[in-house]
Amino acid sequence: MEQIPLPSSLGEVEALINALYQPNPPETISRIQDVLHRLQRSPEGWQLAQSLIANPNNNIKFFAALTLIVKLNRDSDGMSEDDAKELLQKVIGWFLQSLVDGSGAFVTKKLCTALVTYFMRFSQLWPHPLRHLLYSLDIGRGMPVEGLDDALPANVIVGNLDRRKLRAAIWFTASLVEEITKTDMNVAKYMPVHKGLQDSVADATCLLARGFSPPSDNPALLTQEDALTCFQSWVMYWQRGSAKLGPLVALVDPAMQCFADESLFSATAELFSDILSYCPSFLSEENYNSLAALFDSAWAADHYKEIVDGHEDGNIAFGLLMLAYGDAKVLQLMTGTDDRSQRFLQRLSGLLAAEGYPVHDDYIFVPALEFWSTFVETMIDEAFTQESDHASELLVWRPLAEQHLTTVLMNCWRKIQWPPVETFASWDSAERTGFTDARKDVGDLLQSVFALKGLPLVKFFVDLLLRSLELQIWPEVEACAYCLGSLSDCVSDSSNYDIELGRVFASPLFELLGEQRGPLPLRLRQTGLSLIERYSEYFERHAEYLPHALNLLFAAVGDAQLGGPSAKAISTLCSSCRPILTSEAPTFIRHYQTIRTSGLVLDSLAEERIVLAIASIIQAIPDKVQKMQAFGQLLSFFTSDIERAVQLKANPGMLNLSDPNFLRGVEQPSSAAPSQVPPAEEIALQIALRALRCLSSMAKGMQDVKDHVVDIDDDDSQQQTKQANNAELVGVQATILAAMLQTQETFASSGEVVEIICMILKAGFSETEPGPFVFPAEVVVDFFLKQGPATPRLGTVLSTACSFVGSLYRGPRMYVPNHLSRLLPWVISILQALPEPESDTEVAQNGIYFVDRVMTKYPAVFFGLQPFQTLEFFFMFCLKVLNGKEPLPKSAAADFWTSFITSKTEDDPALQATITGAIEHLGPLLAISLMQNFGGNAARSELDKLSEPLKKLVTGNVHAQMWLQNALQHETFPAHHVPLEQRIMLLKKIIALRGNRDTNKVLREFWLLCRGANFSYAS
Amino acid sequence: MALCQNRLQEERKQWRKDHPFGFYARPQKNHQGVLDLKVWECGIPGKEKTIWEGGLFKLLVTFPDEYPTKPPKCKFTPPLFHPNVYPSGTVCLSILNEEEAWKPSITVKQILLGVQDLLDDPNPESPAQAEAYGLYKRDRQEYEKRIKRIVRENAAP
Repeated sequence: MEQIPLPSSLGEVEALINALYQPNPPETISRIQDVLHRLQRSPEGWQLAQSLIANPNNNIKFFAALTLIVKLNRDSDGMSEDDAKELLQKVIGWFLQSLVDGSGAFVTKKLCTALVTYFMRFSQLWPHPLRHLLYSLDIGRGMPVEGLDDALPANVIVGNLDRRKLRAAIWFTASLVEEITKTDMNVAKYMPVHKGLQDSVADATCLLARGFSPPSDNPALLTQEDALTCFQSWVMYWQRGSAKLGPLVALVDPAMQCFADESLFSATAELFSDILSYCPSFLSEENYNSLAALFDSAWAADHYKEIVDGHEDGNIAFGLLMLAYGDAKVLQLMTGTDDRSQRFLQRLSGLLAAEGYPVHDDYIFVPALEFWSTFVETMIDEAFTQESDHASELLVWRPLAEQHLTTVLMNCWRKIQWPPVETFASWDSAERTGFTDARKDVGDLLQSVFALKGLPLVKFFVDLLLRSLELQIWPEVEACAYCLGSLSDCVSDSSNYDIELGRVFASPLFELLGEQRGPLPLRLRQTGLSLIERYSEYFERHAEYLPHALNLLFAAVGDAQLGGPSAKAISTLCSSCRPILTSEAPTFIRHYQTIRTSGLVLDSLAEERIVLAIASIIQAIPDKVQKMQAFGQLLSFFTSDIERAVQLKANPGMLNLSDPNFLRGVEQPSSAAPSQVPPAEEIALQIALRALRCLSSMAKGMQDVKDHVVDIDDDDSQQQTKQANNAELVGVQATILAAMLQTQETFASSGEVVEIICMILKAGFSETEPGPFVFPAEVVVDFFLKQGPATPRLGTVLSTACSFVGSLYRGPRMYVPNHLSRLLPWVISILQALPEPESDTEVAQNGIYFVDRVMTKYPAVFFGLQPFQTLEFFFMFCLKVLNGKEPLPKSAAADFWTSFITSKTEDDPALQATITGAIEHLGPLLAISLMQNFGGNAARSELDKLSEPLKKLVTGNVHAQMWLQNALQHETFPAHHVPLEQRIMLLKKIIALRGNRDTNKVLREFWLLCRGANFSYAS
Repeated sequence: MALCQNRLQEERKQWRKDHPFGFYARPQKNHQGVLDLKVWECGIPGKEKTIWEGGLFKLLVTFPDEYPTKPPKCKFTPPLFHPNVYPSGTVCLSILNEEEAWKPSITVKQILLGVQDLLDDPNPESPAQAEAYGLYKRDRQEYEKRIKRIVRENAAP
């Protein structure tokens, strides 16, 4: 963008400012702004402000004040004390001038801000800003600060000020409080400013008191509203800290008088809402009584009626005031049995019944709901913690409070009913989310109420539901179902509850739910289905309703809106009720088959959930033959999918998108226009991925939910025999494995394929009993050994290998060394293939972690690794990582070295000699690496981790001191500026600490020293 | 302890009065419906116009007895695939670290907004899990694909 050159005369500047306020294209405006900014920042800015302030044009005056603020903020540091004092007098002079020369209020207000900015910069030169400003207002010109001693008392000055000056002084005070509130009173720089403000409180009180009094001298010039705003700012300041602002209390009464003036009503209500919410202790009991009387007046009744009738616009402030009062006095209102308290609570419950839809056009509902949540929680506190000698009191107020709650419940229930679909659709997204959030808040409230009422609450909604159902008022039925659903986490399994729930689940509602083209609106079907999911425990206890519920859900799976939630409900129900459902497995598989052949393509997530559900039922089938049969049936869907994907990849011409089996490979089939159909190869991959994910869901579903005892001394062969004898199981495993390998081979570059295969394998690792996904260890090892540097997501593969080692350690020991001996060289070969140790952090981290696990548990396997160069490579690799910058592998390396330093064996002297030799050889190198880190190379967050190997070194090895001393003197030690004596001092300290926890602290201090004094975390 | 409870009451009040769009945060309830103010169940929505949009992620915020001197611990349940989330689900964020940027004046709202910002703006300087960090660094396209799937699995209702 081309810059406008800096203007050369005042006239040009004025023309630019005027142009800024003319209608102009945005780019012109931003160019003008740009040149004006440059002008303000230039050394001539001070002079410019002074020249422009005299201009009669308000916009130009305003710009002058703004320039002054910019200069004060940016360029006032080097100003001499005399210049600064002179400047203050000048600015006050301009401020006074603006009151008489017809300047607009916005100019005077901007000058107030300029004065406040001055105070923030030069508070030491202007310790009593308000009193001094009053003094200058009194005299009529900018007075020297030193002359303040000659001033009349502030209250006398205030009493004499004309209305215009009075109002300007209030503006200044408001600006002063607001700006200072934004600063932190605990920061040294701002402490004098806060002190200056707090010293002004008495003067401000007297100023505002006059501001509140009706103007007899100039009836056209009202100051009450400004006084209210200013008072509110003081209240907000008070709320921030423990400032002593006692005198302000005197303003409460005059402020309350402002309620009487309809034009001040909103501002007054806001002020009192703030006081009640943020500093209720500001008000005396007398003040509270005045407010209570106010709420009881006919005037209040009118305002209240307006809100409830839906005319909230001008009256919402009144509703919020009532709620703030309620909040401040909740305990007294709740336990108060007097008429006034009861009337007030009745009205507060009535706020939940205002006309309109919450958030859309009823703005009081959500705040009122908040009040009632507080009310209920206070009630719970009182009800559960009341001392026994208060029990009689509880008996008196509780029934009254519960009556209010009943009204609250009814009102909420009406309010959460959905509007007609087209109405809802016409709202903007904030209103739609707001409405659903309000429903959730009601759900929360109900959970709290449950703590007080229990069973009767459930019965309340069940009765309501059945009544509305009979009348076929669907939004009401939906609201009941929603309320019952939100209580699902609260209700216990006692038969009382089951009786109530049974009335709902046996009702005709659930017949109607199944009818896709029946009378029920979509919302109700959704809520009804989710009710089934939420009460899955009920269905566990009442198996008689379960198949019907599931059939309902299956019927809804294909629905665009209901599919997702139904699938989720199916998986929850099937997973938790699996033993009851085993006989249904063939039916559900048929359901699934029907869906697949119907031409409908399910959402992939929904499909995975359904497959998981069916698999978890299959898992629970007690009869092995039936179990394998059902399993095989389900599996065949996905092995066929994979075969089809492989064929399609090889032969793209076979693609036929009218076949749902191919359509599965196109994401969002309904919206994909023919031109957007991806290439056959991509479709093939998607079909395969979908099938693999379903396999993974099967693997999760097949996981046993019961615990079995494992005998780790068991002869491994016994279990193998168990598995090998089951020829069918072996066959199924071979099929699964072949499918996985074929997929990987066909789509060799897909990281997702590898990732899902790893998930499938992992699902079997945690199992202790044989199963289709519990592959024999050697099969898993074979799989790993097939993976090489070209395999994508090697990091995930290695992490899976780590999990596999964990599962080996949990099982029989016999063949473990054999498996580890095969895997270890493979893992190291992958590390060797990395161009740099840190080029794949996930591989590096998991690789090191794997080796660590092997070395710790089976040192013979690790130290016996041949050829020896492989081991040597690994040690050097691990040292490089320890010297590196990647936190995750570095942390793994620190762990490895910690284990390494403490490696030992008790029953094998030859092995022990090898270990000792290795430590003697590597100890000095490790010491160098660690000292480079503590010498400043490490990040602060790594220090604790890196302290561990050092501590082990110090406690475990006689040569440690020598190694560390060499390391501290070594040329690679990074902090050359730290003298040798200090380094040796560190060494002495850590040796003396003998590895105890204080070592970390000492190392941290040393590291800071090496980093240099200027280092801090924030930098 | 009393300080902790008072502050949490106040936080709760403030949250009720004013909370950002699409979030939720509420103290956990025990089986009887009584509140435990020291453990909050929160929901972090993915930010609009990012790959996280449409997701809602459950976060458990646990306040220590020394709160607000010490920061709360934030943990995604289930653990979230993200470079700055530990495999346990714990969030690694400077404002949640006592030794870094934690200040007692930081509110629950600021914490949750901070966590939301972190979702789409991970900090590669302090990785907490190898998998997400590795994918984020090496294959951004695959990373984003994975996030989109996670968002679908955790779709906001």
